[in-house]
Amino acid sequence: MNPQVFVDGIVAGSMIGLGAIGLTLVYSILRFPNFAHGELVTAGAYFALSLAALIGAAVGGTAPIGPFSFGWAIVLAALGAMVATAALALALDAVLFQRLRRRGAAVIIIVMASFGASLALRSGIEFVYTASPAYFTRELQIAMRLPGGLRVTPDQLAALALTAVLVVAVHLFVTRTAAGRAMRAVRENPALAALAGIDVDRTIRLVWVLGAALACAAGITAGLLIQIRPTMGFDLLLPLFAAAILGGVGSLPGAVVGGLVVGLGEALTVAFLGAEWRAGAAFMLLVAILVVRPNGLFGRAGG
Amino acid sequence: MSRPVRLDGLVAGYERDLPIVKGVDFAVAAGEFVGIFGPNGAGKSTLVKAVAGAAATFGGAAFLGDTLLTGLPAHKVLGAGLAFVPQTENIFATLSIAENLQIAAEVLPRAARAARIGAMHAMFPDLARAPHRPAGSLSGGQRQMLAVARALIVSPDAIILDEPSAGLSPRLAHDVFTTLARINAAGTTIILVEQNVRAALAVVSRGIILVDGRVRLDAPAADLAARDDLGALFLGTAAAAA
Ligand SMILES: Nc1ncnc2c1ncn2[C@@H]1O[C@H](COP(=O)(O)OP(=O)(O)OP(=O)(O)O)[C@@H](O)[C@H]1O
Ligand SMILES: [Mg+2]
Repeated sequence: MNPQVFVDGIVAGSMIGLGAIGLTLVYSILRFPNFAHGELVTAGAYFALSLAALIGAAVGGTAPIGPFSFGWAIVLAALGAMVATAALALALDAVLFQRLRRRGAAVIIIVMASFGASLALRSGIEFVYTASPAYFTRELQIAMRLPGGLRVTPDQLAALALTAVLVVAVHLFVTRTAAGRAMRAVRENPALAALAGIDVDRTIRLVWVLGAALACAAGITAGLLIQIRPTMGFDLLLPLFAAAILGGVGSLPGAVVGGLVVGLGEALTVAFLGAEWRAGAAFMLLVAILVVRPNGLFGRAGG
Repeated sequence: MSRPVRLDGLVAGYERDLPIVKGVDFAVAAGEFVGIFGPNGAGKSTLVKAVAGAAATFGGAAFLGDTLLTGLPAHKVLGAGLAFVPQTENIFATLSIAENLQIAAEVLPRAARAARIGAMHAMFPDLARAPHRPAGSLSGGQRQMLAVARALIVSPDAIILDEPSAGLSPRLAHDVFTTLARINAAGTTIILVEQNVRAALAVVSRGIILVDGRVRLDAPAADLAARDDLGALFLGTAAAAA
Protein backbone atom coordinates (compact mmCIF):
# COMPACT_ATOMS: atom_id res chain seq x y z
CA MET A 1 0.00 0.00 0.00
CA ASN A 2 1.19 3.47 -0.83
CA PRO A 3 1.73 5.36 2.45
CA GLN A 4 0.95 8.58 0.60
CA VAL A 5 -2.70 7.70 1.32
CA PHE A 6 -2.13 8.65 4.94
CA VAL A 7 -0.82 12.10 4.11
CA ASP A 8 -3.79 12.80 1.86
CA GLY A 9 -6.19 11.40 4.46
CA ILE A 10 -4.79 13.51 7.27
CA VAL A 11 -4.88 16.67 5.17
CA ALA A 12 -8.49 16.01 4.14
CA GLY A 13 -9.35 15.01 7.70
CA SER A 14 -8.04 18.25 9.14
CA MET A 15 -10.37 20.22 6.86
CA ILE A 16 -13.29 18.03 7.90
CA GLY A 17 -12.31 18.51 11.53
CA LEU A 18 -12.34 22.30 11.19
CA GLY A 19 -15.83 22.22 9.73
CA ALA A 20 -17.05 19.68 12.24
CA ILE A 21 -16.07 21.87 15.20
CA GLY A 22 -18.57 24.52 14.15
CA LEU A 23 -21.24 21.92 13.53
CA THR A 24 -20.76 20.28 16.91
CA LEU A 25 -20.62 23.65 18.74
CA VAL A 26 -23.90 24.80 17.24
CA TYR A 27 -25.47 21.41 17.83
CA SER A 28 -24.48 21.14 21.46
CA ILE A 29 -25.65 24.65 22.37
CA LEU A 30 -28.64 25.23 20.10
CA ARG A 31 -29.60 21.53 20.07
CA PHE A 32 -30.16 21.09 16.37
CA PRO A 33 -28.02 19.70 13.55
CA ASN A 34 -27.51 22.63 11.20
CA PHE A 35 -27.69 21.36 7.65
CA ALA A 36 -26.77 24.82 6.37
CA HIS A 37 -23.34 24.52 7.96
CA GLY A 38 -21.91 23.25 4.68
CA GLU A 39 -22.99 26.46 2.97
CA LEU A 40 -21.05 28.46 5.57
CA VAL A 41 -18.00 26.52 4.36
CA THR A 42 -18.84 27.36 0.74
CA ALA A 43 -19.69 30.98 1.44
CA GLY A 44 -16.44 31.38 3.36
CA ALA A 45 -14.43 30.21 0.37
CA TYR A 46 -16.27 32.51 -2.05
CA PHE A 47 -16.07 35.51 0.28
CA ALA A 48 -12.31 34.97 0.42
CA LEU A 49 -12.15 34.59 -3.37
CA SER A 50 -13.97 37.89 -3.94
CA LEU A 51 -12.00 39.75 -1.29
CA ALA A 52 -8.72 38.41 -2.64
CA ALA A 53 -9.70 39.59 -6.11
CA LEU A 54 -10.57 43.03 -4.74
CA ILE A 55 -7.32 43.31 -2.79
CA GLY A 56 -5.35 42.00 -5.76
CA ALA A 57 -6.98 44.58 -8.05
CA ALA A 58 -6.33 47.37 -5.54
CA VAL A 59 -2.60 46.68 -5.10
CA GLY A 60 -1.96 45.23 -8.53
CA GLY A 61 -1.60 41.61 -7.45
CA THR A 62 0.61 40.06 -4.77
CA ALA A 63 3.38 37.56 -5.21
CA PRO A 64 3.22 34.14 -3.53
CA ILE A 65 4.71 33.98 -0.04
CA GLY A 66 7.81 31.77 0.11
CA PRO A 67 7.10 28.24 -1.08
CA PHE A 68 3.31 28.64 -0.86
CA SER A 69 0.98 29.13 -3.78
CA PHE A 70 -0.81 32.07 -2.22
CA GLY A 71 0.14 35.66 -1.49
CA TRP A 72 -0.72 38.19 1.20
CA ALA A 73 -3.90 39.11 -0.63
CA ILE A 74 -5.37 35.70 0.20
CA VAL A 75 -4.21 35.83 3.82
CA LEU A 76 -5.88 39.22 4.30
CA ALA A 77 -8.93 38.08 2.37
CA ALA A 78 -9.18 35.04 4.64
CA LEU A 79 -9.45 37.25 7.70
CA GLY A 80 -12.08 39.40 6.03
CA ALA A 81 -13.96 36.32 4.85
CA MET A 82 -14.13 34.97 8.40
CA VAL A 83 -15.81 38.19 9.49
CA ALA A 84 -18.18 38.06 6.52
CA THR A 85 -19.07 34.41 7.13
CA ALA A 86 -19.73 35.15 10.80
CA ALA A 87 -22.00 37.99 9.72
CA LEU A 88 -23.84 35.63 7.38
CA ALA A 89 -24.36 33.10 10.19
CA LEU A 90 -25.61 35.83 12.54
CA ALA A 91 -28.02 37.06 9.88
CA LEU A 92 -29.26 33.53 9.28
CA ASP A 93 -29.86 33.06 13.00
CA ALA A 94 -31.59 36.43 13.36
CA VAL A 95 -34.02 35.97 10.47
CA LEU A 96 -34.61 32.23 10.80
CA PHE A 97 -33.42 30.15 13.72
CA GLN A 98 -33.92 32.68 16.51
CA ARG A 99 -37.53 33.24 15.49
CA LEU A 100 -38.20 29.51 15.53
CA ARG A 101 -36.48 29.11 18.93
CA ARG A 102 -38.53 31.95 20.42
CA ARG A 103 -41.70 30.31 19.16
CA GLY A 104 -40.61 27.06 20.79
CA ALA A 105 -40.57 25.24 17.45
CA ALA A 106 -39.86 21.49 17.46
CA VAL A 107 -36.31 20.44 16.58
CA ILE A 108 -37.47 18.82 13.34
CA ILE A 109 -38.94 22.16 12.19
CA ILE A 110 -35.64 23.91 12.85
CA VAL A 111 -33.76 21.13 11.04
CA MET A 112 -36.04 21.49 8.02
CA ALA A 113 -35.54 25.25 8.12
CA SER A 114 -31.77 24.68 8.05
CA PHE A 115 -32.28 22.41 5.03
CA GLY A 116 -34.18 25.20 3.33
CA ALA A 117 -31.49 27.71 4.21
CA SER A 118 -28.88 25.33 2.81
CA LEU A 119 -30.72 25.02 -0.48
CA ALA A 120 -31.35 28.75 -0.76
CA LEU A 121 -27.76 29.70 0.03
CA ARG A 122 -26.34 27.12 -2.35
CA SER A 123 -28.58 28.32 -5.17
CA GLY A 124 -27.75 31.94 -4.38
CA ILE A 125 -24.02 31.22 -4.46
CA GLU A 126 -24.35 29.34 -7.74
CA PHE A 127 -26.38 32.21 -9.21
CA VAL A 128 -23.70 34.75 -8.31
CA TYR A 129 -20.57 32.72 -9.01
CA THR A 130 -21.85 30.14 -11.56
CA ALA A 131 -21.40 26.39 -11.18
CA SER A 132 -17.95 26.21 -12.74
CA PRO A 133 -15.08 25.70 -10.32
CA ALA A 134 -12.89 28.60 -9.28
CA TYR A 135 -9.34 28.70 -7.92
CA PHE A 136 -7.50 30.98 -5.53
CA THR A 137 -4.34 30.66 -7.55
CA ARG A 138 -3.05 28.85 -10.58
CA GLU A 139 0.44 28.59 -9.16
CA LEU A 140 1.88 25.11 -9.37
CA GLN A 141 3.42 23.71 -6.26
CA ILE A 142 6.44 21.54 -6.01
CA ALA A 143 5.82 18.84 -3.46
CA MET A 144 8.40 18.36 -0.78
CA ARG A 145 9.82 14.90 -0.29
CA LEU A 146 9.54 13.44 3.17
CA PRO A 147 11.31 10.31 4.42
CA GLY A 148 9.66 7.11 3.28
CA GLY A 149 8.81 8.45 -0.15
CA LEU A 150 5.97 10.60 1.17
CA ARG A 151 5.24 13.84 -0.56
CA VAL A 152 3.50 16.87 0.76
CA THR A 153 3.01 20.35 -0.69
CA PRO A 154 3.80 23.48 1.31
CA ASP A 155 0.09 24.41 1.05
CA GLN A 156 -0.89 21.11 2.63
CA LEU A 157 1.51 21.74 5.50
CA ALA A 158 0.11 25.25 5.89
CA ALA A 159 -3.40 23.78 6.06
CA LEU A 160 -2.35 21.30 8.74
CA ALA A 161 -0.66 24.04 10.75
CA LEU A 162 -3.68 26.32 10.44
CA THR A 163 -5.96 23.54 11.65
CA ALA A 164 -3.73 22.78 14.61
CA VAL A 165 -3.50 26.44 15.63
CA LEU A 166 -7.23 27.05 15.29
CA VAL A 167 -8.18 23.89 17.15
CA VAL A 168 -5.87 24.67 20.06
CA ALA A 169 -7.03 28.30 20.12
CA VAL A 170 -10.72 27.35 20.17
CA HIS A 171 -10.12 24.70 22.80
CA LEU A 172 -8.33 27.19 25.06
CA PHE A 173 -11.02 29.76 24.42
CA VAL A 174 -13.82 27.40 25.41
CA THR A 175 -12.06 25.91 28.44
CA ARG A 176 -10.15 28.92 29.82
CA THR A 177 -12.04 32.16 29.18
CA ALA A 178 -15.13 33.67 30.78
CA ALA A 179 -16.92 33.67 27.43
CA GLY A 180 -16.10 29.99 26.94
CA ARG A 181 -17.32 29.21 30.43
CA ALA A 182 -20.56 31.02 29.60
CA MET A 183 -20.88 28.89 26.46
CA ARG A 184 -20.52 25.70 28.48
CA ALA A 185 -23.03 26.96 31.05
CA VAL A 186 -25.57 27.77 28.32
CA ARG A 187 -24.95 24.35 26.81
CA GLU A 188 -25.83 22.64 30.06
CA ASN A 189 -28.77 24.76 31.15
CA PRO A 190 -29.78 27.97 29.36
CA ALA A 191 -32.45 28.90 31.93
CA LEU A 192 -30.03 28.61 34.83
CA ALA A 193 -27.37 30.44 32.83
CA ALA A 194 -29.70 33.43 32.52
CA LEU A 195 -30.44 33.31 36.26
CA ALA A 196 -26.70 33.27 36.88
CA GLY A 197 -26.39 36.54 34.97
CA ILE A 198 -25.26 35.20 31.58
CA ASP A 199 -26.64 36.96 28.50
CA VAL A 200 -27.78 33.82 26.68
CA ASP A 201 -28.54 35.57 23.38
CA ARG A 202 -25.07 37.09 23.29
CA THR A 203 -23.52 33.70 24.05
CA ILE A 204 -25.47 32.14 21.18
CA ARG A 205 -24.20 34.85 18.83
CA LEU A 206 -20.67 34.04 19.92
CA VAL A 207 -21.24 30.36 19.09
CA TRP A 208 -22.34 31.32 15.57
CA VAL A 209 -19.36 33.58 15.10
CA LEU A 210 -16.92 30.87 16.18
CA GLY A 211 -18.61 28.12 14.18
CA ALA A 212 -18.84 30.26 11.05
CA ALA A 213 -15.25 31.47 11.26
CA LEU A 214 -14.04 27.87 11.49
CA ALA A 215 -16.33 26.83 8.63
CA CYS A 216 -14.82 29.66 6.59
CA ALA A 217 -11.30 28.45 7.42
CA ALA A 218 -12.28 24.96 6.27
CA GLY A 219 -13.70 26.40 3.05
CA ILE A 220 -10.61 28.43 2.27
CA THR A 221 -8.37 25.44 2.98
CA ALA A 222 -10.44 23.24 0.71
CA GLY A 223 -10.40 25.98 -1.92
CA LEU A 224 -6.62 26.23 -1.78
CA LEU A 225 -5.95 22.51 -1.83
CA ILE A 226 -8.70 21.42 -4.21
CA GLN A 227 -11.03 23.95 -5.79
CA ILE A 228 -13.99 26.23 -5.03
CA ARG A 229 -17.44 25.07 -6.13
CA PRO A 230 -20.95 26.05 -5.04
CA THR A 231 -21.55 22.50 -3.79
CA MET A 232 -18.23 22.07 -1.99
CA GLY A 233 -19.73 22.59 1.48
CA PHE A 234 -22.80 20.53 0.82
CA ASP A 235 -20.64 17.65 -0.40
CA LEU A 236 -18.71 17.96 2.85
CA LEU A 237 -21.84 17.76 5.01
CA LEU A 238 -21.93 14.00 5.42
CA PRO A 239 -18.25 13.75 6.39
CA LEU A 240 -18.81 16.68 8.79
CA PHE A 241 -21.71 14.93 10.51
CA ALA A 242 -19.84 11.64 10.59
CA ALA A 243 -16.86 13.39 12.21
CA ALA A 244 -18.98 15.24 14.76
CA ILE A 245 -20.85 12.08 15.74
CA LEU A 246 -17.76 9.93 15.77
CA GLY A 247 -16.02 12.32 18.14
CA GLY A 248 -19.02 12.60 20.41
CA VAL A 249 -21.39 15.44 19.67
CA GLY A 250 -20.39 18.55 21.61
CA SER A 251 -16.77 17.56 22.03
CA LEU A 252 -14.36 19.88 20.22
CA PRO A 253 -11.28 17.66 20.37
CA GLY A 254 -13.63 14.82 19.40
CA ALA A 255 -14.70 16.65 16.25
CA VAL A 256 -11.09 16.98 15.15
CA VAL A 257 -10.26 13.36 15.90
CA GLY A 258 -13.47 12.35 14.14
CA GLY A 259 -12.46 14.49 11.17
CA LEU A 260 -9.09 12.78 10.92
CA VAL A 261 -10.69 9.33 11.14
CA VAL A 262 -13.20 10.17 8.42
CA GLY A 263 -10.53 11.77 6.25
CA LEU A 264 -8.30 8.73 6.57
CA GLY A 265 -11.26 6.42 6.03
CA GLU A 266 -12.13 8.22 2.81
CA ALA A 267 -8.55 8.17 1.57
CA LEU A 268 -8.18 4.45 2.29
CA THR A 269 -11.50 3.76 0.59
CA VAL A 270 -10.40 5.63 -2.50
CA ALA A 271 -7.09 3.76 -2.51
CA PHE A 272 -8.57 0.30 -2.08
CA LEU A 273 -12.04 0.48 -3.59
CA GLY A 274 -11.83 3.38 -6.01
CA ALA A 275 -12.84 7.04 -6.03
CA GLU A 276 -16.51 6.28 -6.67
CA TRP A 277 -16.75 4.87 -3.12
CA ARG A 278 -15.47 8.03 -1.42
CA ALA A 279 -18.89 9.38 -0.41
CA GLY A 280 -19.86 5.91 0.71
CA ALA A 281 -16.97 5.80 3.17
CA ALA A 282 -18.30 8.62 5.35
CA PHE A 283 -21.77 7.17 5.07
CA MET A 284 -20.66 3.72 6.17
CA LEU A 285 -18.68 5.17 9.05
CA LEU A 286 -21.76 7.16 10.04
CA VAL A 287 -23.98 4.10 9.94
CA ALA A 288 -21.45 2.05 11.88
CA ILE A 289 -21.31 4.72 14.57
CA LEU A 290 -25.07 5.03 14.79
CA VAL A 291 -25.34 1.28 15.24
CA VAL A 292 -22.93 1.41 18.15
CA ARG A 293 -24.20 4.72 19.54
CA PRO A 294 -27.84 4.88 18.46
CA ASN A 295 -28.61 8.18 20.18
CA GLY A 296 -25.44 9.82 18.95
CA LEU A 297 -26.95 12.51 16.77
CA PHE A 298 -30.26 13.45 18.33
CA GLY A 299 -29.54 12.30 21.85
CA ARG A 300 -28.59 14.74 24.54
CA ALA A 301 -25.21 16.28 23.89
CA GLY A 302 -22.45 14.76 25.96
CA GLY A 303 -19.16 16.27 27.11
CA MET B 1 -27.76 46.50 51.83
CA SER B 2 -31.20 45.02 51.82
CA ARG B 3 -34.32 46.00 49.94
CA PRO B 4 -38.01 45.11 50.13
CA VAL B 5 -39.80 42.92 47.59
CA ARG B 6 -43.34 43.74 46.53
CA LEU B 7 -45.80 41.88 44.32
CA ASP B 8 -48.77 43.75 42.87
CA GLY B 9 -51.50 41.53 41.46
CA LEU B 10 -48.99 39.18 39.86
CA VAL B 11 -50.48 36.87 37.21
CA ALA B 12 -48.01 34.37 35.79
CA GLY B 13 -47.65 30.95 34.19
CA TYR B 14 -46.59 29.18 31.03
CA GLU B 15 -49.53 29.92 28.74
CA ARG B 16 -51.35 33.21 28.69
CA ASP B 17 -54.83 31.70 28.74
CA LEU B 18 -53.94 29.31 31.56
CA PRO B 19 -52.36 31.33 34.36
CA ILE B 20 -50.94 29.32 37.26
CA VAL B 21 -50.45 32.31 39.56
CA LYS B 22 -53.78 34.09 39.58
CA GLY B 23 -53.21 37.51 41.11
CA VAL B 24 -50.88 37.58 44.08
CA ASP B 25 -50.20 40.61 46.30
CA PHE B 26 -47.75 40.72 49.15
CA ALA B 27 -44.87 42.79 50.42
CA VAL B 28 -41.73 41.58 52.12
CA ALA B 29 -39.97 44.29 54.12
CA ALA B 30 -36.25 44.96 53.79
CA GLY B 31 -34.42 42.43 55.92
CA GLU B 32 -37.54 40.30 56.50
CA PHE B 33 -37.46 36.47 56.23
CA VAL B 34 -40.71 35.14 54.75
CA GLY B 35 -41.79 31.59 53.98
CA ILE B 36 -44.11 30.60 51.12
CA PHE B 37 -45.95 27.34 51.70
CA GLY B 38 -48.67 25.42 49.97
CA PRO B 39 -49.61 22.08 48.46
CA ASN B 40 -47.85 20.54 45.47
CA GLY B 41 -48.87 22.28 42.29
CA ALA B 42 -50.11 25.40 44.10
CA GLY B 43 -47.89 27.53 41.90
CA LYS B 44 -45.15 28.38 44.42
CA SER B 45 -42.32 27.68 42.01
CA THR B 46 -44.11 29.45 39.18
CA LEU B 47 -44.62 32.49 41.40
CA VAL B 48 -40.97 32.84 42.37
CA LYS B 49 -39.77 32.00 38.87
CA ALA B 50 -41.95 34.82 37.52
CA VAL B 51 -40.45 37.24 40.04
CA ALA B 52 -36.94 36.19 38.96
CA GLY B 53 -37.76 36.44 35.25
CA ALA B 54 -37.69 32.69 34.59
CA ALA B 55 -41.44 32.33 33.98
CA ALA B 56 -43.77 34.62 32.04
CA THR B 57 -45.70 37.37 33.82
CA PHE B 58 -49.09 38.09 32.23
CA GLY B 59 -50.32 40.76 34.60
CA GLY B 60 -49.32 42.80 37.62
CA ALA B 61 -45.73 43.49 38.60
CA ALA B 62 -42.91 42.62 40.98
CA PHE B 63 -40.55 45.18 42.49
CA LEU B 64 -37.24 45.03 44.32
CA GLY B 65 -37.22 48.30 46.23
CA ASP B 66 -38.06 50.83 43.51
CA THR B 67 -36.75 48.63 40.71
CA LEU B 68 -39.38 47.06 38.47
CA LEU B 69 -38.34 43.43 38.01
CA THR B 70 -41.17 42.46 35.68
CA GLY B 71 -40.10 42.69 32.05
CA LEU B 72 -36.41 42.72 32.94
CA PRO B 73 -34.50 40.05 30.94
CA ALA B 74 -33.71 37.11 33.22
CA HIS B 75 -29.96 37.72 33.06
CA LYS B 76 -30.36 41.28 34.36
CA VAL B 77 -32.25 40.29 37.51
CA LEU B 78 -29.15 39.11 39.39
CA GLY B 79 -27.33 42.34 38.60
CA ALA B 80 -30.39 44.28 39.77
CA GLY B 81 -29.89 42.76 43.21
CA LEU B 82 -32.22 39.75 43.34
CA ALA B 83 -30.71 36.28 43.48
CA PHE B 84 -32.82 33.20 42.82
CA VAL B 85 -32.05 29.56 43.60
CA PRO B 86 -34.39 27.34 41.56
CA GLN B 87 -35.95 24.17 42.94
CA THR B 88 -34.19 21.78 40.54
CA GLU B 89 -31.10 21.87 38.34
CA ASN B 90 -29.71 24.78 40.30
CA ILE B 91 -26.01 24.19 39.63
CA PHE B 92 -23.96 23.59 36.49
CA ALA B 93 -23.04 19.94 37.00
CA THR B 94 -20.65 19.77 34.03
CA LEU B 95 -18.70 22.83 35.15
CA SER B 96 -16.23 22.79 38.00
CA ILE B 97 -17.17 24.01 41.45
CA ALA B 98 -14.88 27.00 40.97
CA GLU B 99 -16.48 27.83 37.62
CA ASN B 100 -19.96 27.75 39.14
CA LEU B 101 -18.87 30.45 41.56
CA GLN B 102 -16.92 32.41 38.94
CA ILE B 103 -19.96 32.66 36.68
CA ALA B 104 -22.04 34.39 39.33
CA ALA B 105 -19.07 36.53 40.43
CA GLU B 106 -18.82 37.82 36.86
CA VAL B 107 -21.69 40.20 37.68
CA LEU B 108 -19.40 41.96 40.19
CA PRO B 109 -16.64 44.46 39.41
CA ARG B 110 -13.44 42.59 38.59
CA ALA B 111 -11.61 43.74 41.71
CA ALA B 112 -14.33 42.46 44.04
CA ARG B 113 -14.62 38.92 42.68
CA ALA B 114 -11.81 37.08 44.45
CA ALA B 115 -12.84 38.42 47.84
CA ARG B 116 -16.46 37.31 47.39
CA ILE B 117 -15.41 33.84 46.24
CA GLY B 118 -13.17 33.70 49.32
CA ALA B 119 -16.11 34.71 51.50
CA MET B 120 -18.17 31.83 50.06
CA HIS B 121 -15.33 29.40 50.72
CA ALA B 122 -15.26 30.61 54.30
CA MET B 123 -19.02 30.13 54.65
CA PHE B 124 -19.08 26.73 52.89
CA PRO B 125 -15.68 25.06 53.44
CA ASP B 126 -16.76 21.99 51.43
CA LEU B 127 -16.69 24.12 48.29
CA ALA B 128 -13.05 25.08 48.81
CA ARG B 129 -11.86 21.51 49.18
CA ALA B 130 -11.64 20.43 45.53
CA PRO B 131 -12.63 23.48 43.48
CA HIS B 132 -11.65 21.97 40.14
CA ARG B 133 -13.83 18.89 40.38
CA PRO B 134 -17.07 18.92 38.40
CA ALA B 135 -19.95 20.26 40.48
CA GLY B 136 -21.88 17.13 39.49
CA SER B 137 -19.60 15.15 41.79
CA LEU B 138 -20.94 16.94 44.89
CA SER B 139 -23.40 15.31 47.27
CA GLY B 140 -26.99 16.55 47.44
CA GLY B 141 -26.32 18.74 50.44
CA GLN B 142 -23.12 20.14 48.98
CA ARG B 143 -24.97 20.93 45.75
CA GLN B 144 -27.51 23.00 47.67
CA MET B 145 -24.62 24.76 49.39
CA LEU B 146 -23.11 25.54 46.00
CA ALA B 147 -26.45 26.78 44.67
CA VAL B 148 -26.87 29.04 47.71
CA ALA B 149 -23.27 30.22 47.45
CA ARG B 150 -23.78 31.01 43.77
CA ALA B 151 -26.70 33.21 44.74
CA LEU B 152 -25.00 34.86 47.71
CA ILE B 153 -21.76 35.68 45.98
CA VAL B 154 -23.13 38.92 44.55
CA SER B 155 -24.24 40.10 48.01
CA PRO B 156 -27.82 40.36 46.79
CA ASP B 157 -30.34 42.76 48.32
CA ALA B 158 -32.87 39.93 48.38
CA ILE B 159 -32.65 36.22 47.76
CA ILE B 160 -35.40 33.77 46.82
CA LEU B 161 -34.87 30.06 47.39
CA ASP B 162 -37.18 27.36 46.05
CA GLU B 163 -37.12 24.32 48.38
CA PRO B 164 -33.40 24.34 49.19
CA SER B 165 -33.98 21.50 51.68
CA ALA B 166 -35.57 19.14 49.15
CA GLY B 167 -33.92 15.74 49.23
CA LEU B 168 -31.73 16.56 52.21
CA SER B 169 -31.61 14.65 55.49
CA PRO B 170 -33.33 16.47 58.38
CA ARG B 171 -29.88 17.30 59.72
CA LEU B 172 -28.68 18.85 56.48
CA ALA B 173 -32.01 20.64 56.03
CA HIS B 174 -31.51 22.09 59.49
CA ASP B 175 -28.02 23.24 58.46
CA VAL B 176 -29.45 24.97 55.40
CA PHE B 177 -32.08 26.76 57.49
CA THR B 178 -29.47 27.82 60.05
CA THR B 179 -27.29 29.20 57.27
CA LEU B 180 -30.25 31.13 55.84
CA ALA B 181 -31.08 32.53 59.28
CA ARG B 182 -27.48 33.71 59.56
CA ILE B 183 -27.60 35.35 56.12
CA ASN B 184 -30.87 37.02 57.04
CA ALA B 185 -29.45 38.23 60.34
CA ALA B 186 -26.70 39.90 58.30
CA GLY B 187 -29.46 41.95 56.65
CA THR B 188 -30.50 40.15 53.44
CA THR B 189 -34.21 39.94 52.60
CA ILE B 190 -35.13 36.27 52.13
CA ILE B 191 -38.12 34.56 50.55
CA LEU B 192 -38.08 30.82 51.15
CA VAL B 193 -40.42 28.37 49.42
CA GLU B 194 -40.70 25.21 51.50
CA GLN B 195 -42.54 21.89 51.83
CA ASN B 196 -40.84 21.40 55.14
CA VAL B 197 -43.28 23.78 56.83
CA ARG B 198 -42.65 23.00 60.48
CA ALA B 199 -38.89 23.30 60.16
CA ALA B 200 -39.15 26.49 58.11
CA LEU B 201 -41.56 28.13 60.57
CA ALA B 202 -38.76 27.96 63.14
CA VAL B 203 -36.64 30.39 61.11
CA VAL B 204 -39.02 32.62 59.12
CA SER B 205 -40.87 35.51 60.71
CA ARG B 206 -43.93 35.28 58.49
CA GLY B 207 -45.62 32.66 56.36
CA ILE B 208 -47.66 33.03 53.20
CA ILE B 209 -49.83 30.11 52.21
CA LEU B 210 -50.48 29.77 48.52
CA VAL B 211 -53.32 27.54 47.31
CA ASP B 212 -54.28 27.24 43.64
CA GLY B 213 -52.33 30.32 42.61
CA ARG B 214 -53.79 32.63 45.26
CA VAL B 215 -52.70 33.78 48.71
CA ARG B 216 -54.88 31.90 51.14
CA LEU B 217 -53.29 33.11 54.35
CA ASP B 218 -50.56 35.58 55.28
CA ALA B 219 -49.70 35.41 58.97
CA PRO B 220 -46.82 35.69 61.46
CA ALA B 221 -44.83 32.47 61.79
CA ALA B 222 -45.74 32.10 65.45
CA ASP B 223 -49.46 32.14 64.63
CA LEU B 224 -49.02 29.53 61.90
CA ALA B 225 -46.86 27.35 64.13
CA ALA B 226 -49.57 27.40 66.77
CA ARG B 227 -52.24 26.10 64.40
CA ASP B 228 -52.85 22.40 64.23
CA ASP B 229 -54.92 22.55 61.02
CA LEU B 230 -52.14 23.49 58.59
CA GLY B 231 -52.76 20.35 56.55
CA ALA B 232 -56.44 21.19 56.23
CA LEU B 233 -55.55 24.77 55.31
CA PHE B 234 -53.45 23.44 52.45
CA LEU B 235 -56.36 21.37 51.24
CA GLY B 236 -58.67 24.35 51.52
CA THR B 237 -60.95 22.57 53.97
CA ALA B 238 -60.20 24.77 56.98
CA ALA B 239 -61.27 28.38 57.40
CA ALA B 240 -58.42 30.76 56.69
CA ALA B 241 -59.22 33.02 59.66
CA ALA B 242 -57.08 32.22 62.68
N1 LIG C 1 -42.52 24.39 32.73
C1 LIG C 1 -43.86 24.22 32.88
N2 LIG C 1 -44.67 24.25 31.80
C2 LIG C 1 -46.00 24.10 31.93
N3 LIG C 1 -46.63 23.93 33.10
C3 LIG C 1 -45.88 23.90 34.21
C4 LIG C 1 -44.45 24.04 34.16
N4 LIG C 1 -43.98 23.98 35.42
C5 LIG C 1 -45.06 23.81 36.21
N5 LIG C 1 -46.21 23.76 35.50
C6 LIG C 1 -47.55 23.61 36.03
O1 LIG C 1 -47.80 24.68 36.91
C7 LIG C 1 -48.52 24.24 38.03
C8 LIG C 1 -47.85 24.73 39.28
O2 LIG C 1 -46.55 24.20 39.32
P1 LIG C 1 -45.46 24.74 40.34
O3 LIG C 1 -44.21 24.03 40.05
O4 LIG C 1 -45.46 26.21 40.32
O5 LIG C 1 -46.07 24.25 41.73
P2 LIG C 1 -45.38 24.20 43.16
O6 LIG C 1 -46.33 24.85 44.08
O7 LIG C 1 -44.02 24.72 43.10
O8 LIG C 1 -45.37 22.63 43.43
P3 LIG C 1 -44.28 21.75 44.21
O9 LIG C 1 -44.60 21.92 45.67
O10 LIG C 1 -44.59 20.37 43.77
O11 LIG C 1 -42.93 22.21 43.86
C9 LIG C 1 -48.59 22.72 37.94
O12 LIG C 1 -49.92 22.40 37.52
C10 LIG C 1 -47.63 22.36 36.87
O13 LIG C 1 -48.12 21.29 36.12
MG1 LIG D 1 -42.18 23.93 43.37
